[in-house]
Amino acid sequence: MRIFVQKITGLLLFLLILSFISFCLLQLVPGDPVRSMLRVDDVAVTDDQIQQMREQLGLDQSVFVQYGYWLQNLFSLDLGNSYMTGRPVFIEFIEKIPYTLMLTGTSLLVMIMISLPLGILSALYRGRMTDHLSRIFALIGSSIPSFWLGLLLIDLFAVKLRILPSMGEGSWQHLILPSITLGIAMSAVYVRLIRASILESSHQEFIRSARARGVGKQRIFTFHLMRHSLIPLLTVFSESIGSLLGGTVVIEVLFAYPGLGKWIVDAITARDYPIIQGYMLFMSIFIVLLNMIVEWSYRYINPAIAIDPRKKGVTS
Amino acid sequence: MLSLLSKKIGYSISFVILVLLLSACTSQTSSTSGEATNTKKLTLLFNVQSNTIDPHTDVNYTASRAGISETLVKIDDEQQLQPWLATSWKSKDGQHWTFQIRPNVTFHSGAPVDAQAVKSSLERVTQENPAIRNALHIEKMTANGQTLQIVTDTPLPQFPSELVHPNTGIIDTSVDGSTPSGTGPFVLTQFKPGIEVDVKRNPSYWNGQVKLDEATFSFNEDANARLLALQSGNADVVYRFPVESLSQLQTDPNLVIESVPGLRAHQLIYNMENPHLGKLHVRQAIDALLNRQEIVDAVMSGQASVAEGPFLADSPLSPKYTAKPFDIERARTLFAQAGYTVTNGQVTNNGAPLTFNLVTYQSRAELPIIAQLVQANAAQLGIKLNIQQVDNADEYLAENKNWDMAIYSFITAPRGDASYLLNSVYTPTGGLNYGQVKDQALNTLIQQLNQTVDVEQRNQIAQQAVEMIDRNLLHSYIIHPNNFVAHQKRVSGWVTSKSEYYMLTKDLDVN
Repeated sequence: MRIFVQKITGLLLFLLILSFISFCLLQLVPGDPVRSMLRVDDVAVTDDQIQQMREQLGLDQSVFVQYGYWLQNLFSLDLGNSYMTGRPVFIEFIEKIPYTLMLTGTSLLVMIMISLPLGILSALYRGRMTDHLSRIFALIGSSIPSFWLGLLLIDLFAVKLRILPSMGEGSWQHLILPSITLGIAMSAVYVRLIRASILESSHQEFIRSARARGVGKQRIFTFHLMRHSLIPLLTVFSESIGSLLGGTVVIEVLFAYPGLGKWIVDAITARDYPIIQGYMLFMSIFIVLLNMIVEWSYRYINPAIAIDPRKKGVTS
Repeated sequence: MLSLLSKKIGYSISFVILVLLLSACTSQTSSTSGEATNTKKLTLLFNVQSNTIDPHTDVNYTASRAGISETLVKIDDEQQLQPWLATSWKSKDGQHWTFQIRPNVTFHSGAPVDAQAVKSSLERVTQENPAIRNALHIEKMTANGQTLQIVTDTPLPQFPSELVHPNTGIIDTSVDGSTPSGTGPFVLTQFKPGIEVDVKRNPSYWNGQVKLDEATFSFNEDANARLLALQSGNADVVYRFPVESLSQLQTDPNLVIESVPGLRAHQLIYNMENPHLGKLHVRQAIDALLNRQEIVDAVMSGQASVAEGPFLADSPLSPKYTAKPFDIERARTLFAQAGYTVTNGQVTNNGAPLTFNLVTYQSRAELPIIAQLVQANAAQLGIKLNIQQVDNADEYLAENKNWDMAIYSFITAPRGDASYLLNSVYTPTGGLNYGQVKDQALNTLIQQLNQTVDVEQRNQIAQQAVEMIDRNLLHSYIIHPNNFVAHQKRVSGWVTSKSEYYMLTKDLDVN
């Protein structure tokens, strides 16, 4: 219980500091949303009207005062409304996040489906044809720009073969091409990581010890070798989830996929402060929770990590 | 150790990969628009996405473009105002207006469209949208049957043209703005923010029979992806495909390409506070470095027309513009006339070489290329142009003083009236007067325009003002990019409008 309270307090403090820093950074960037809001490129506007609007929004006040108002509204669970659409930030975020979660999940699935078998095979057949092929795959996968790969996939599956939709959402088919595009780009890295991790683990003492004890080969592979190899991969895996949750704007634009990436890029361009602040807050919570889960999973995969060194009698 | 592991693991993994590859190749065919049934359905793919469908706040006018909402006044392709939900309007002083609302029109919700409903809608938009509130200047409205009287807080002769703005679309305010109930030929069935708008036929449309049963107005901001969607049959009408694919599309017998001159003008803004650019001869010399035809041909692949002034040459707002040929020799002569020394391939002023900072931005891909062409021509003459790309040109040009010229772009007459351009760009307090133009004679003319109600007289004053802008070369207008669209041959009744306010119409059909 004490640890839980500590974690939550730490999280809240972290969010407070982060939100303040991001608020200050936003104010440092020149310009504000007023010109976009008043649509200077479409409706006749005078300098006086621009200044008046600035005052109305409180943008002429100090960063501390503005942050104070934002924090005050946050305590009453109000993240404000988008300057551009006038809609509540929370509603817009809730509309986007399921799409991003879905794409994150399927992309990771594709990545695992490609990289796990290829990584294992290239470790098993080190220096042989399979290993060389996986190396070529990794080289090509990490060299191809994702937007180009996406266009190639659309051209093949939507234009030539006509078996998949080229864009949009609404069915599981719509997720295939963006997921493959992202999955291939990620798996190029993971194939080599998995290979390296397995090879490194295979030289560990506990593997030789298990073999000496007469443990079966498959059991050694599954419960000793793979388990040990997973730990370094988990850290990279959590970073991948974080970056996918943060948005994959190129893929979202290409496949007209309504995720968080395009949303936040548009908000930054238009200086839509409420959206940017809300996004920072939500994503910070996500990332912190993700890190907590990964931390917990280390202990599950390797219980030795959870043992307090003092109890173990280890001194530094 | 690994070599000792069972080969079974390797075989198992290989088998799983094989199964996955085979299963991936057996995906089901996706259905394309309206093929499976007899439903007449069309999919339009637009190049800018919307996160809201509320006609009063959506900056992309999706509700208007998708045929859901309509305004009191509309604009035709000759840039003339036409009655729409208002049958007529009149004002003697430009401040007190009387609008007759079209009888026997109902909202999609079934509620009648009367003056009270229009009043409520206009009240909502002025509350929700600060830009429209500033544009309309409404002080008071009185509704009586089908007659709506509006008083503005200042004489606003361009008031009817401001009501062309799609954000002034008339909707039933008793229905939530996220599911707008308009009067257009199509009724909203579903809106997926950032993805698409699904609409169906309005069976009781006031302006006649709607031909399509259903339509989807979808968004994709990637030009290549839009092209592929057209080629794959996922889209029937596609806006702004990549221009480089034009010749390829023209050879496709199943496609029709349409291209019309747009209302936008790419232009070169001069910072009048720069001591050199404040001189007419220097601006004329720089204008002579603009090879407009080359920009049309090479940069725009022919999908643009040479701009002689801010408005299209056939616009009623355009005077007879002066010729602006590309002529480096003339530029050299003009610099010499302005007192500069042009020797050894360099233009100098009291021994100091002439250097300018040219700002541009990337959201329109052709603008940096145009900047590079100008830079190359200037270098040929002996002037150094430092190109600077910025993220947000509006902010940068307004907040900074250290720029000399800017390649910029905007729609000069979005609603058929010159007052927007003249007031925004050429009055000292105009929100788009980035070049700090302070021309007393021009300003007087603009104020005269702001007090003139008669349309013919307004156009005459506008022409005089534009002539003055042209003569003094306050800006160099470069090109008018085209609005270009590709659609499947089975689509009929499609009209590529100059304003781009109206896309899904009652006449649109598929065979």
